Amino acid sequence: MPYVIEVENLEHSFGKKPVLRGVSFKIRRGESYVVIGGSGSGKSVLMKCILRLIKPRAGTVKINGQDVSSLSQKAMYSTLLKCGVLYQGGALFDSLNVIDNVSFGLVYGCGMSKKTAYKTAMKNLEAVDLGPEIARVFPAELSGGMKKRVALARAIATNPDIIFFDEPTTGLDPITTGVIDNLIVRCTKEMGISALSITHDVASMKRISDTVGLIHDGKMIWEGSNRDLTTTDDPYVRQFIDGSPIGPFIRS
Amino acid sequence: MFLVSVGRGVILFLSSIGKLSCFLAESIVVGLMPRYHWKQIGQQAVQIGYFSLPVVGMTALFTGMAMTLQCYTGFSKITAESAIPSVVMIAMTRELGPVLTALMVAGRLGASMTAEIGTMKVTEQIDALTTLSVNSYKYLVFPRILAGTIFLPFLVLIDDIIGILGGYLVGVHYLHFNAANYIHNTISSMSTWDVTSGLIKGAVFGFIVCVMGCYHGYLSNRGAEGVGRATTNSVVSSSIMILLLDCILTFVLF
Ligand SMILES: Nc1ncnc2c1ncn2[C@@H]1O[C@H](COP(=O)(O)OP(=O)(O)O)[C@@H](O)[C@H]1O
Ligand SMILES: [Mg+2]
Repeated sequence: MPYVIEVENLEHSFGKKPVLRGVSFKIRRGESYVVIGGSGSGKSVLMKCILRLIKPRAGTVKINGQDVSSLSQKAMYSTLLKCGVLYQGGALFDSLNVIDNVSFGLVYGCGMSKKTAYKTAMKNLEAVDLGPEIARVFPAELSGGMKKRVALARAIATNPDIIFFDEPTTGLDPITTGVIDNLIVRCTKEMGISALSITHDVASMKRISDTVGLIHDGKMIWEGSNRDLTTTDDPYVRQFIDGSPIGPFIRS
Repeated sequence: MFLVSVGRGVILFLSSIGKLSCFLAESIVVGLMPRYHWKQIGQQAVQIGYFSLPVVGMTALFTGMAMTLQCYTGFSKITAESAIPSVVMIAMTRELGPVLTALMVAGRLGASMTAEIGTMKVTEQIDALTTLSVNSYKYLVFPRILAGTIFLPFLVLIDDIIGILGGYLVGVHYLHFNAANYIHNTISSMSTWDVTSGLIKGAVFGFIVCVMGCYHGYLSNRGAEGVGRATTNSVVSSSIMILLLDCILTFVLF
């Protein structure tokens, strides 16, 4: 089946405040899809609805052709094993050291023995350019960029088909951003993993995307390929890319 | 207007009871299914059973001592000093042991459970558990509830012993009771049911403290401030429930 993720008319609100107001898009196998949009536009909520961490008010989400709302908990867990997630703040487990963090999904999710899981985790750390010397370090002692890398290693440890990146480069310096972007490109292009990334960083968007969707006011208001970005005359996209304070986005 | 706000309050109360019940049911059902997280259970057992000992022991010692002094003031007026050992014993085992232990544990452990789980909630670590295919109720909540229910009675037992010992120290060394008589009076008035009922209370309180600690952790949102608020709510609500249930259990058990 050609699509790994199909989202249709997704709606969600917190209390009376609508956050998503009918979002639809599809991600093909092997595609790197980037969602952009202002802070608070509901990008993280969208990702959590797809992963069934939040139950949306309306709309359907299909992962690998299966409607996630109809899956049993057990089936959902096995679907989630095929999804790697890099959270906005890394979301590393504070009480566990780096190697236990990276091997967590392998040990507790896949039921692998600790020894094999550690070996795989070491390889994953290497894949994100981290050496064995940080294996016993706790997350609190790591810098922001290292945390993101460890979190990335944990996200790819279970060998997922789809990876979700929630603002992978926010708060990092330009060089570290470049490094993380390269790692993401390596995951998607070389390992053939499909990806849904969320970012506001225009430079990284250009580097990592095949397709870009712009979310605004709870709706996907523009969708286009990486190449369309430079040629489009959509005023929202232009303003987002140029970062100009004047334009159709209304700042409240 | 008044009726509306009362109605809203009642609905809010009922819905939070409903939510709590669902939380509890899910935690226990998934917790009891095989593949236990032994390591988590063990860690929590050590936290509750071992690291709480100093606080609980100290509370018990001072309470036992103060209790004996106060009893002396009262009982010497009616020349009933000889009843002091058995009164201290009954008060410690039936009432003060379980209640004080539970309150101390609510402050020490209930609070830290809420803070820990709440922080995990607001920093998306609980979401991360889920997307790594681990049930967070099974991994975080069940081990805490199990360890609390099993190990709080153990703490109560220690509390009883140290409290009675505190009473003995004051009685014999300060009030100059005859040591042999004091011990004899304590032991002869002791019944198994006094101790057992205290332990039953302890198990119930341990359950309450851990359930409330975890539940409020899951409720936290909106950053550090939310976690702080959840922690306060957790300690306050479990303390009130401990005192309320103590009253109810005392009616039921005796
Ligand atoms: N758990 C929640 N409860 C209430 N409101 C929320 C919650 N999570 C997110 N929101 C609100 O939803 C909106 C979108 O949030 P989010 O998806 O995190 O934005 P972003 O696009 O920056 O990732 C925000 O206005 C936020 O306040
Ligand atoms: Mg976000």
